[in-house]
Amino acid sequence: MKRIFAATLVSAFLLAASTFAQVKITPLNIKERSLANGMRIVSVLDSSSPTVSIHVWYDVGGKNDPPGRSGFAHMFEHMMFKATKNMPNEKLDRLTEDVGGFNNASTWPDYTNYYEVVPSNHLELLLWAEADRMVNLNVDEANFVSERKVVQEEYRQSVLDPPYGRLFWYLDDLTFQKHPYRRGVIGDLDQLGAATRADAEKFYKDFYRPDNAVLVVVGDFDQKQFDGWVDKYFARLPKPASKIARVAEVEPEWTTERRFEKFGPIVPFPATAIVYRAPKTTSPDIPALRLAESILSGGESSRIYQALVRTQQIAQQADLDLELNSEGGRMSFVAIGAEKGTSQNLEAALLVELKKIQDSGVTAKELEKAKNQLVARAIAALETNDGKATAIERAIAYLGDPKAVNNEVSRLQAVTAADIQRVMKKYFKESNRVVIHYNQEKKVEGEK
Amino acid sequence: MKMRIAECGLRMCLLLALVVTTESLSFAQIPEPGPARSVNIPAVRESKLKNGLTVAVVEKRSVPLVTVQLLVKDGAASEGIKKAGLADMTASMLTKGTKTRTAEQIAEEMEFLGASINSGAGWNSSSVTIGVTSDKLEQAMAIMADVVLNPAFTQAELDLLKAQTLDGLKYNLTQPAYLANYAASVYTFREHPAGGTAASVESMTRSDIAGFHGLRYAPQHSILIFSGDVDVARANSLAARLFDSWPRTNTPVVSRGSATSVAAGSERAIVRRMVVLDLPGAGQASVNYYTAIDSVRRSGNEYYATSVLNSLLGGGYSSRLNQEIRIKRGLSYGAGSSFGWRGQNANFSTRTQTKNESAAEVAELVIAELKRLADTDAAEAEINPRRLVLTGGFGRNLETTGGLTAALADLYSFGIPAAELNRYMTSVAAVGPSNVKDFAAKYLYRGDIIIVGDYAKFKDDLTKRFPNMKVEVIKIDELNIESPTLRKSDIP
Repeated sequence: MKRIFAATLVSAFLLAASTFAQVKITPLNIKERSLANGMRIVSVLDSSSPTVSIHVWYDVGGKNDPPGRSGFAHMFEHMMFKATKNMPNEKLDRLTEDVGGFNNASTWPDYTNYYEVVPSNHLELLLWAEADRMVNLNVDEANFVSERKVVQEEYRQSVLDPPYGRLFWYLDDLTFQKHPYRRGVIGDLDQLGAATRADAEKFYKDFYRPDNAVLVVVGDFDQKQFDGWVDKYFARLPKPASKIARVAEVEPEWTTERRFEKFGPIVPFPATAIVYRAPKTTSPDIPALRLAESILSGGESSRIYQALVRTQQIAQQADLDLELNSEGGRMSFVAIGAEKGTSQNLEAALLVELKKIQDSGVTAKELEKAKNQLVARAIAALETNDGKATAIERAIAYLGDPKAVNNEVSRLQAVTAADIQRVMKKYFKESNRVVIHYNQEKKVEGEK
Repeated sequence: MKMRIAECGLRMCLLLALVVTTESLSFAQIPEPGPARSVNIPAVRESKLKNGLTVAVVEKRSVPLVTVQLLVKDGAASEGIKKAGLADMTASMLTKGTKTRTAEQIAEEMEFLGASINSGAGWNSSSVTIGVTSDKLEQAMAIMADVVLNPAFTQAELDLLKAQTLDGLKYNLTQPAYLANYAASVYTFREHPAGGTAASVESMTRSDIAGFHGLRYAPQHSILIFSGDVDVARANSLAARLFDSWPRTNTPVVSRGSATSVAAGSERAIVRRMVVLDLPGAGQASVNYYTAIDSVRRSGNEYYATSVLNSLLGGGYSSRLNQEIRIKRGLSYGAGSSFGWRGQNANFSTRTQTKNESAAEVAELVIAELKRLADTDAAEAEINPRRLVLTGGFGRNLETTGGLTAALADLYSFGIPAAELNRYMTSVAAVGPSNVKDFAAKYLYRGDIIIVGDYAKFKDDLTKRFPNMKVEVIKIDELNIESPTLRKSDIP
């Protein structure tokens, strides 16, 4: 659904290079330039379909929520579709949906992106609109309040309504101790309700500016014409004199296991979450962790699925997800029990699987399978212009370089079985984890 | 700026200053679009094997990926409520073992190729789909053919699938939106839940599964669709090599379970009945409208009228339901509508979720939009963008091998020729406001409002807003899906 928050989504970024097996992966021909106001421009020409994907990426995310305003960055993302000095409310929808395109935006712990796919003859209009809303946003009180209610409904729909929505909320709240990642992107219902238009004005001024943005355009355009439009609409936006505030809090090392028992009103089966802290996205250990994730949890032949779902039959779902964050991520194991599942046996079964790799490593065939799976996914991710733009934007967010898209596969190919065993021992330690057991709360006597 | 100067604090003044600066950059002048390029509709090459299997190939060579789907033109329509879920469980069992491969081996071999295999069934069809890089197409297709032609259907795998399906059902039946559709399938549409009921899943046997497969999976009722980085010769030779041995069967003409007509009556009210499924503790209420539409054909031109109607009412962000419920009032994260096609009839529904306290208000808004649709012609200025939403989405969908496959499978499952792809743009463009209004007036009434949520939180408001409407309230643990009234006490 439109204007999503990406708190619990797992980012699968990795991209392609050179050749693997017989499949030829063509590297993206990425053009980059920087404007005098600090804005970065990235483009890839591809005229195979008459469409163009436009992404404006801002270096602001859930981690930048103001104090006492948990969920604000995501709420503000919604406001970016309201009026500007030159556009009425929802004009972006007129410029996209009404001509056969679409738009959306998402807020991640580290960044926020706004994107459109339109017939390519509409590119200039979207560049105009993106430049306009970067500096001319003008939300009135009635629209601010109405959209605030929408975000509160989004909270209810994603946290309060699904049977395990609260568990995923706790996954943010109970793991990071100091870093603002602990607030989670969707935030807190009351703090959302307390947000004001003045908060929005300050947030907009602080973070929405050319020196905090990257424009990524992939698709059917004329390079010279495109460069001219960038000059016309973006190059002359002023660079604010103020510095951009960055997160100062540093997450301390996790030194002892932390355990929690949590309950929800409608929990059909017991569940367990075990969260290990992962390194920053720039860490050289990330490719090995990605492959470990795949060996443990990538598909029905993976170790966790085979052990917990098929052999022991204690889980109906059991997944390990590597969540990438630029200031340190997490590896989250979440299992929802089957009839025979309890929070205790789900926890014990996962720990057995982790220990097996720590003690005995993985086989050469398992490693090759995991590489094949990730390479195939990388190819599929580049099928459309929008997929390419998304991959580039993640390379910018997590590795600081759009061209990192083109060497991601070779980074994966370099990983050895010994690397996997090493990172499994290094990160999957008792002291480096949080365990949450999640169960049905006791019903009041006499209640059905 | 709409704000008054009196509100201008330091922050606002800075914003104003910025506006003045940028005004000189002629932002007020919105640019004009350039000349449009047309969308390419890819060519579909069809042939037939001797056993009657249709092979359809669409080449798309830009990315080294291929999607292959084996589509069987029979699905949940051919099972009754006593065996609800049979079509989907049969499809699921295909990948759980063949005469020469265990379930583990199938998963291991496909995943080693970096490929995916998925099987399942909808109302009108069953399918097995693989996604694979083009260099490994032969190996992946050998496994695909094996699961379609030689499934083992072992007792141990069936027991596990039944346990998993029951767990999944128990999970889904805690969710308001799932519960509403589950109830409507029986109450409004006179069908059954295609995902199964606890009783039907419990009752499933190996002979049920093998029987469905033996009778329904027949080459002359199936289509093998290739799309992506594969040429026609390679696809056809693979199809012949792997599927030539599939014997033609004596399958009778496919019998579709057709919905019983709602009793005729002169009553023109949009809402015939209102049902609340009471789910204490629900985090939101799911508010839905359902109505069964008899005698409209998926293959007829009315399909395009319903597509534009749906785009206007509840398809896409700027549709009327989302405008009224989300954008104007902030009552939901989203609202929409859809037509579920059945070949000779269709099921229409609208859906949204809201906080429990505003469930009745949202129901009122939905009804008002249905009324407006049937009473008033939409302006051309409103309807044209909604046509472009459809044609733009159609064109984008054809850019991926998965999207191409889905578009073709949709046509084939209703026996519609692939050439219909070429008529889509012009057919949508030909739908006018009166086609939409006439369809709504003719079909979108005598439906049911079904609300699933924490009833205590909207009971009074519902009574106040619908003083003349009889509201059937069913507690969730009294829900009986096998009864047309949904009540335990009314077991047939």
